[in-house]
Amino acid sequence: MAFTVALAGNPNSGKTTLFNRLTGSTQRIGNWPGVTVDRKEGTIKSKTDITLIDLPGVYSLSPYTMEEVITRDYLVHEEPDAIINIVDASNIERNLYLTTQLLDIGIPVVVALNMMDVVNKRGDVIDIPALSEQLGCPVIEISAIKGFGIQSLVGTAHEAAHFGATPHFVEAVEGDVATAVHHDQVIAHHQYRETHFERTFTAPVEAAIDSIAQVIQGRMPIEHLRWYAIKVFERDERVEKSLHLNEAERAQVESLISAVETEYDDVSSSIVTGESYDFISTVVEQTVTKQQVGMSLSDKIDRVVTSRILGLPIFVAVMFLVYYVSVTTIGALVTDFTNDTFVGAWIQEPVAHWLGSIGVADWLQSLFVDGIIGGVGAVIGFLPQMIILFIFLALLEDCGYMARIAFLMDRIFRRFGMSGKSFIPLLIGTGCGVPGIMATRTIEQDRDRRMTILTTTFMPCGAKLPFIALIAGVAFGGAWWVAPSAYFMGIGSVIVTGIILKKTRLFSGDPAPFVMELPAYHPPILRNTFYSVWERSSAFVKKATTIILLTSIVIWFASSFGFDAGGFGMVDDLNQSIAAHIGNAFAWIFSPLGFGNWKAAISSVLGLAAKEEIVSVMGIFSSIGDGAIDMVDAGQMGALSPIMMLFGASAIPVAAAYAFLAFNLLCVPCFAAVGAMVGEMKSWKWSLFTIGYQCGWAWIVGMIIYNLWIWIALGTFGFWTVAALLCLAVILFLLFRPAPRDRVAKLAARTTAA
Amino acid sequence: MLPLSFSSIGEPVRIQAIKGKPDVMTFLESLGFVSGCAVTLLSKQGGNVIVKVKDVRVAISAEMAGNIMVAPHAA
Repeated sequence: MAFTVALAGNPNSGKTTLFNRLTGSTQRIGNWPGVTVDRKEGTIKSKTDITLIDLPGVYSLSPYTMEEVITRDYLVHEEPDAIINIVDASNIERNLYLTTQLLDIGIPVVVALNMMDVVNKRGDVIDIPALSEQLGCPVIEISAIKGFGIQSLVGTAHEAAHFGATPHFVEAVEGDVATAVHHDQVIAHHQYRETHFERTFTAPVEAAIDSIAQVIQGRMPIEHLRWYAIKVFERDERVEKSLHLNEAERAQVESLISAVETEYDDVSSSIVTGESYDFISTVVEQTVTKQQVGMSLSDKIDRVVTSRILGLPIFVAVMFLVYYVSVTTIGALVTDFTNDTFVGAWIQEPVAHWLGSIGVADWLQSLFVDGIIGGVGAVIGFLPQMIILFIFLALLEDCGYMARIAFLMDRIFRRFGMSGKSFIPLLIGTGCGVPGIMATRTIEQDRDRRMTILTTTFMPCGAKLPFIALIAGVAFGGAWWVAPSAYFMGIGSVIVTGIILKKTRLFSGDPAPFVMELPAYHPPILRNTFYSVWERSSAFVKKATTIILLTSIVIWFASSFGFDAGGFGMVDDLNQSIAAHIGNAFAWIFSPLGFGNWKAAISSVLGLAAKEEIVSVMGIFSSIGDGAIDMVDAGQMGALSPIMMLFGASAIPVAAAYAFLAFNLLCVPCFAAVGAMVGEMKSWKWSLFTIGYQCGWAWIVGMIIYNLWIWIALGTFGFWTVAALLCLAVILFLLFRPAPRDRVAKLAARTTAA
Repeated sequence: MLPLSFSSIGEPVRIQAIKGKPDVMTFLESLGFVSGCAVTLLSKQGGNVIVKVKDVRVAISAEMAGNIMVAPHAA
């Protein structure tokens, strides 16, 4: 017989570690319907008839966060056969709060008391049989990290799922006095389902819950009745709605609740919480003997790491190390190796040679070698660098420092609608946008994550540097300020976008107040690091082999086919390609930016394959030939100066060149990054919005720069000057208008009700 | 009775009341912030604070910390 067991627990309770240990390589990752939270499941290695579902980490089953809603909907509607509730024994009081709520649901629960090694080391003693008796469910001591107690846990969970009865189970049928059921008594599954754990609230609360149960009964499986009754008592809107109470019933329930609230002078949900904690305190008092503790090691580390004086320097040092290793030194090395040697010399050339030797048609050769291998290879080339980066991220998350980063940076990033964790994606984005976007996975809040994904590629990434250097060299004689100005433009765009969008309906809503647990520091667990890196890397490879493969083929086709004297076919001259025609068709869009000629337009379009392409394409157009990138690297700006002819038609060529720089810096990133973006947004609507916003923003910035420049320098005043001033005024207005608060409040009310 | 953000570092205090919107209150409660519970301020960072509650360190923004009212432990 096959069983489904759900794994539930607080964040940072070791849930991931336990899940990885139980399921190993059998895990599969999907999505919870309608949300971006990962749904992980796997088969328990030693008991292959059990499917284990990893529920999101939650502190309670209240309806306020997405994770909580997913967890409780799953438990109540999909009815797993049993729940393994992982409890951090070193922090038992807080963790048991969720346990009491899980027990209310009426599905067999097995408590896995994790981190017992920490507890033992601290000298605390936990009376396991007593705890089991008090909670009315089996309690198994484990250490997910060290691997002890795992077999016993699996056995008990299997038994709980199978028989619904386990040693020490306390039967407490409603109305009856609790009677202990012993080892030798095996309760059949259906009987178990009718019994449940009952923490007792104070008499008036119990009476109200009982009366509510009578009103609502019959609308759900009997074992869930008490959970529903408690939720209704707490005025849980989601539950109330799902019950479809009629007017009379609602009034009856309401009078029951308000009577208790008046008596206690408190809101019903707080009464329940308070009494739950009272219950837990009693349980803990009777079962846990604590040594007097001073400051823990984590407290001591935090005193230094989050202190006013040393907090930021330590943060800067850690970030510098991560950036230095994963982007500049080892990262750059492995990326060059995979691009030039692995993809170029080891795959591309031999394949080209082989295809040639067996006489494959030229166009097909070109499709494989230039289109597919070239395109996908350029993206896969980033993989080793990304793996290095993902290792760092996993280590930072696992050891607990990531939570501190979020704490340190939160005040700054909250102002532009992001979270403290947005810092890392933006920093990584200055190396490469693709891993930057992938790094947003560490941000829990959907809204913060979307905003970060949208803005990460505004940062000048490594591939944009050649054309920044090119423009600086040929248009500004290598002026020192051009490159820094690109960075300022990137950072400025992030901030302005954040502030503007935060005030719009799309990103508005109650700014979630910053409350987060800072987990205890611990040495990273290699198994967790491995799975985390594997998950993220394989997601990227999947993307590269689907979306990016497709776009590579399209770009290749557009730039190698076209019309020449002989009609439609493959063309050697880029000028005759489809891409050129497309560029021509779009050139007018860029006239207000000063570079409305088709050559500059196509350079931008082909830059979508990879941003450094902009330089090569411009080189080809200005008859410099291939190798423009190498010339930029070598600093041969004199030889590159013909490129300025592309801007020759505009009033001030340098202004047009700078507008061109701004546009290509800020507009849609390369297809690899777009692929990552689409993958992380997990929604076409949001992906299209992002692409549209980035194009629009880049165009507006370029337009403002060019038109104000020629107005100030030459006094040229015309339609576009007015448009530029208007756009600037609108941006400033959006930037400084007060956040529309009442709308925000209304929206928040609506989402809570939904 | 004073807001948590005003209590001094390292000195245990007791929670008297939590103000604010229901969702925020509920979230704080699920993290262990309930009336009568002992908490200790561990650090302040530009208004944001880190507190220890029930053996856990929790970071809270300045405005939230202002909503948690505390009194000296003895009281």
